[in-house]
Amino acid sequence: MRTFRGGLTIGLAVAVLVAAAAITYERYDTRTLKRTVRRGEVLCGVNKGLPGFSNPDDKGNWTGFDVDFCRAVASAIFDDPSKAKFVPLDASERFKELQNRKVDILSRNSTWSMSRETNYDLYFPAVAYYDGQGFMLPRARNVDSALNLDGSKVCVQGNTTTQLNLADYFRANNMKYTEMKFDKLEDVVKAYDSGQCDTLTSDASQLYALRLNLSKPNDHVILADIISKEPLAPVVRLRDDDWMMIVKWTLYAMINAEELGVTSKNIDEALKSKKPEVMRLVGTEGSYGEDLGLTKDWAVRIIKHVGNYGEVYERNVGSGSQLKIPRGMNQLWNAGGVQYAPPIR
Amino acid sequence: MAKLRHLVWMLIATAALALSTSQGFAQNRPDADEPGLVADDSYQLDPEWQKQVVYYRTNEAPGTIIVATAERHLYLVQGNGRALRYGIGVGRDGFTWQGLVNITKKAEWPDWTPPPEMIARQPYLPRFMAGGPGNPLGARAMYLGSTVYRIHGTNQPDTIGTAISSGCFRLVNNDVADLYSRVPVGTKVIIRQKPEL
Repeated sequence: MRTFRGGLTIGLAVAVLVAAAAITYERYDTRTLKRTVRRGEVLCGVNKGLPGFSNPDDKGNWTGFDVDFCRAVASAIFDDPSKAKFVPLDASERFKELQNRKVDILSRNSTWSMSRETNYDLYFPAVAYYDGQGFMLPRARNVDSALNLDGSKVCVQGNTTTQLNLADYFRANNMKYTEMKFDKLEDVVKAYDSGQCDTLTSDASQLYALRLNLSKPNDHVILADIISKEPLAPVVRLRDDDWMMIVKWTLYAMINAEELGVTSKNIDEALKSKKPEVMRLVGTEGSYGEDLGLTKDWAVRIIKHVGNYGEVYERNVGSGSQLKIPRGMNQLWNAGGVQYAPPIR
Repeated sequence: MAKLRHLVWMLIATAALALSTSQGFAQNRPDADEPGLVADDSYQLDPEWQKQVVYYRTNEAPGTIIVATAERHLYLVQGNGRALRYGIGVGRDGFTWQGLVNITKKAEWPDWTPPPEMIARQPYLPRFMAGGPGNPLGARAMYLGSTVYRIHGTNQPDTIGTAISSGCFRLVNNDVADLYSRVPVGTKVIIRQKPEL
């Protein structure tokens, strides 16, 4: 009797374990890299159209900061940036589509926040672009700090975190303002351009894009002050560590390359460098690429095809683009910004 | 009398020819300084090179100048995470240097005495040129330590954003006058270069 009961307990325990393992296996995908390699391309979830970040032309050629990051991942794996395939996704469907394995990675101006990781079983490997809420105002007002905006009429989109941040910032700094609230962003811009308000507030990257559409773009400035945290990051599924590491270190390789002065133009010269940090980056020393499941020259592939972080920034959203967003927080940590990558060693 | 007038005209023509060829020559060189050219004050800088307040995180005290040569920007640290950023022209390849210096002297519409090394490289340069609108040093100069280098104005606003100088840092005249009014003698100046491979 005793042995029967014991056997039953063990049997039940095994059954529970197997069921749990099965559920866990279903719930967490750990084979993204294998599937990507077998398929021969990386599926990238991107924004349907956001100038500077991800934008298709009329022939279906994609350009942008987020697009280039995905091409960097494809370059690291396949030595070929054209092995990135872009899947346009709406803001509302993006996380679900990533969970449903419709894409391998989201590279789509998504703000990293705690609940997005915990509620959706997702993982944001590293910050690709530090965005945050700022202010645009007429150059002629000669204001250079957001703390001088006391008494302003502020144009803002209603029912957004932008509106809440605005209220918090003015309250915290004992300043008064009149809110000019509109449901649609284009109405916010129209009101500002026609002089109905003293300043317009939105995420800084958006302010630079909106400025292009004003009647006289060069008559307006965007203040250096950033009053909220909007860290934009790529996203992968939780618990797929091999894949997550590749995405994370692709970004870090680009940032480290800029810090070390390695660019798409001098990459051949960098391969002959005797400087240990450069040698570890380009794979002439150590086996960092192999340890990641890739090849020795993984970082060289990224830099050669796509460029270092600064090159990608300037080409898409900085001085080489229409947006002309100053590096600001996205400058390297030792050159005035906060962009920082752990070392390759 | 007619002979003398003839001679004078000959001299003037020769001088004009010499001047025009030396300028034409200068324009084709990477180190093309153009003494005598008056700066076009209506020249519109690209937004990238226009003076602006930017986010800038640093441990350096407000009032410090940081020259980021690879970026072609000069930062005047304002504190509170901000800096005033100006577009600059920097030294061409072979004329780059870095380190910490102080502003040792300030001058308005400075005279220009190109150093002997510079004359040796660019023999067409004058040995001395009085300050004024045609002077390549422009409206203001701030002398850096005991070096031959300066932060100065320019009579060629279109060279902002390029690497063309013999090691000096140039700003457009409006900007250099603005910077000049903000920094005293003794100001700390940090010059940074891109890392070596």
